[in-house]
Amino acid sequence: MMSEVGSPRGPTAPTGGPVRQELSDAERSRRFEAEVLPHLDRLYGAAMRYTRDPHDAADLVQESIAKAYRSFHQYRPGTNLKAWLYRVLHTTYLSMYRKQQRRPQEDLQDQLDDFSFYDEIARAGGRSAEREVLDSFTDDEVKQALADLPESFRVAVYLADVEGFAYKEIAEIMDTPVGTVMSRLHRGRKALQKALAGYARERGLLED
Amino acid sequence: MNEDESAAIAGARQEPACGPDCQEALDELERFLDGELPDVARARIQQHLSDCYPCTDRATFEEQLRAIVRRGCADSAPTELVDRIRTGLRAGDLRGTDGS
Repeated sequence: MMSEVGSPRGPTAPTGGPVRQELSDAERSRRFEAEVLPHLDRLYGAAMRYTRDPHDAADLVQESIAKAYRSFHQYRPGTNLKAWLYRVLHTTYLSMYRKQQRRPQEDLQDQLDDFSFYDEIARAGGRSAEREVLDSFTDDEVKQALADLPESFRVAVYLADVEGFAYKEIAEIMDTPVGTVMSRLHRGRKALQKALAGYARERGLLED
Repeated sequence: MNEDESAAIAGARQEPACGPDCQEALDELERFLDGELPDVARARIQQHLSDCYPCTDRATFEEQLRAIVRRGCADSAPTELVDRIRTGLRAGDLRGTDGS
């Protein structure tokens, strides 16, 4: 293991509190296990949304955890561990998979501005209540609708709606301006709703 | 936010349900539900929602949708993966997929 003495300290290091460089390897492993491993299920869920494949998701989580362990000394106690872990996951995903992709980043092509799922249900005129439509979706349909979104929209929606990250945190995780996060969220959610409305229409809960 | 993004969001306004207060509430609903509005604006939208059933109904629908996405995406890490990571950590040999 590389010596951590003299590692650069981040500019955001909070005052006070123990610094990880001073921990022994054993203590560091113990704290890593206690603090990071409880996030494994959620990280795997995120990895599934990124990669859309169970095998790739497991690889991504394993690689991200190994990276997080190697750079755990850069994490400051008392700062946002969860956001830090997702940042590691995001950058690990980019290095493992983005370079395989020849295509440029996809955009949402659909006309979404005028679409409102709520209004579509209202137009169906009492044939079905909102709650009935929402309760009709299976977990697999929700996952599929999300999986069909272009990557940058899919990840933004996941980080906000499933993980509950704030715009600023998502911006830091995805290394993108807050305005871009807001735009991706807005359009990504609309596209997701449009896909779900398609499922509802197939089973006759919405008008054609 | 650049001009295109502002235009995309402004262009997405929904029809007002009844009055100017409704328009403001619907314009700000996404940021409101995301907990991203400053206190004063948040209190104003909150007040409007408590007075306006149509807007509350829309807000509830959007909240329920998010809950469905959350529920649909709840995954558990495979036991084998968790064991592999835990074992590697305890052995002081936590490797990535490339063996590093």
